[in-house]
Amino acid sequence: MSQTALNRIYITLSGLVVAFIVLPLAIIVWSSFFANRILTFPPSGYTLDWYRRAWEMDAFRDGFLVSMQTAAVATCISLALGIPASLAIVRYPFPGRDFIQTLLLSPMIVPGIVGGAALFIAFIELEVLFDAQIAGTVGGLLMAHSLIALPWTVRLVTASLTGADRSIEEAAASLGASPLVIFRRVTLPSIRSGVIAAALFSFVISFIDLEKSLFLVGPGRTTLQIALVNYLEWNLDSTVAAVATVQIFIIGALLIISDRYAKLSRVF
Amino acid sequence: MASTTATAAVSPTPPSNRRRVSPAFGLAAPASIFVLLGLIGPLALMFRYSFNRFVPSELMVSALTLENYTKFVNDGFYQSVLLTTVGISALSTVLCLIAGFPVAYFMVRLASPRWRSLLFILIILPLLMGNAVRTAAWMVILGDKGLLSTLMAALGLSPVKLMYTPAAVVIGLVSVLLPFMIVTIQSVLEGIGRNLEDAAESLGANHPTVLRRIVLPLALPGLLAGTMLCFILSMNAYATPVLLGGPQFHMMAPEVYQQVTKAMNWPFGAALAFILMAVTLVLTASANSIIQRRYRKWSE
Repeated sequence: MSQTALNRIYITLSGLVVAFIVLPLAIIVWSSFFANRILTFPPSGYTLDWYRRAWEMDAFRDGFLVSMQTAAVATCISLALGIPASLAIVRYPFPGRDFIQTLLLSPMIVPGIVGGAALFIAFIELEVLFDAQIAGTVGGLLMAHSLIALPWTVRLVTASLTGADRSIEEAAASLGASPLVIFRRVTLPSIRSGVIAAALFSFVISFIDLEKSLFLVGPGRTTLQIALVNYLEWNLDSTVAAVATVQIFIIGALLIISDRYAKLSRVF
Repeated sequence: MASTTATAAVSPTPPSNRRRVSPAFGLAAPASIFVLLGLIGPLALMFRYSFNRFVPSELMVSALTLENYTKFVNDGFYQSVLLTTVGISALSTVLCLIAGFPVAYFMVRLASPRWRSLLFILIILPLLMGNAVRTAAWMVILGDKGLLSTLMAALGLSPVKLMYTPAAVVIGLVSVLLPFMIVTIQSVLEGIGRNLEDAAESLGANHPTVLRRIVLPLALPGLLAGTMLCFILSMNAYATPVLLGGPQFHMMAPEVYQQVTKAMNWPFGAALAFILMAVTLVLTASANSIIQRRYRKWSE
């Protein structure tokens, strides 16, 4: 077999497989502009009306806002917990370091359904114990989302810390800078891109989470992913395609920005 | 963890030693406690509850019984749910492996750097779009009035009904999981020098032989890692079976959700969750060891 023939076979196969991954998303974006009242092919014309309708639907608008807020706060919490922990893991050789690292990455390994069910049961038990509501509240949702974002923060920040030059920190310390000043003026700037990528990734991971949130949403506090699945169980129209399109573009933009700070090919 | 921090701060250790140990614990403690409280503790609690007894009027009664696990073993319905889950996951994973390898090989060995990064973006972006959106996209294609049946009607073919069939679930899962497989294989292929392939080729081996004798054995760790990842993710899939499989199609993850939140049968739901994890673990671990043993024989 000649090299060009071989190349052609691989190009064809790869093209087909990539189309299988990407084309469905392109099709749902396309169908969000259809003027047809019922989602059918081919389109009779094009309209932007579905976007207005999607925004007018309480489930989608509230879901979108809840998801944005949850993802933003969960990102802050996972950074606040994850950056110091990453610093400890990379900079200080302490007993049980590997164990701590595995522990912090474990929310990524335990399946969302299992972790979500466990958290739901624990919340209900706490509710009974303290006679307060947790499971359907913002607090419960935030805890679950911070938990799934944390491993990504730890992974990206530890990678970035490992690559950072330590000698500048040592120089600052020898010149009498306090640990806090060193962290703020030397360490943080040197891992800036890792932190930005961690923030963007944490946001995306929280925003698209479905399995863990399933158990923790309450009336009026439903995330966008749950709203989408609930809607899709009974309907399929261009409203849902419009919501999907908005999500595709927001996440696409966030990921392309984060690619500038930490190459996506190194994240996985 | 917390007690260690306290002793490190209070105990009269020499200052140099204290400076090295205590800040690390202080820095790592909040995140560690957070994971212990939010994940490990609840998992332990749920494991304990899987041995409790379910009484419809009182929901859960404290007990130490295996009846939830024996109920699973004796109930034909749940056995078929587990079998479906394993079967669908195995099929989807194998399809991912077959479809994913050529793409990964093409990206690492044949594509120009520009094409390669473009392909990478095209594969990685969908991975993070969320399963709800990706499954919705397949509903648009496979639905009764979807793109596929319209295209087939236009071509004069009788439309196949795929929506709400196991086939639709497999299609959806393969599409969702392929990026994980490609990225995993790709990163392992990247670490393998191409010298051996070049050498084999210069000695007259044709491409299938090079693949079989050089590339596949060397890439085996990556193939195994990708296979395990896809299998685990598809064993635990929720959105795809619910939306593309329809109400008559049952897989384990939606069943866990049903039992815990709708039926409020926590003991049985908990048992289901741990059976799912245990089966996944045992299957991936044994597949791993079998393949590695077989490969050792094969390469001798």
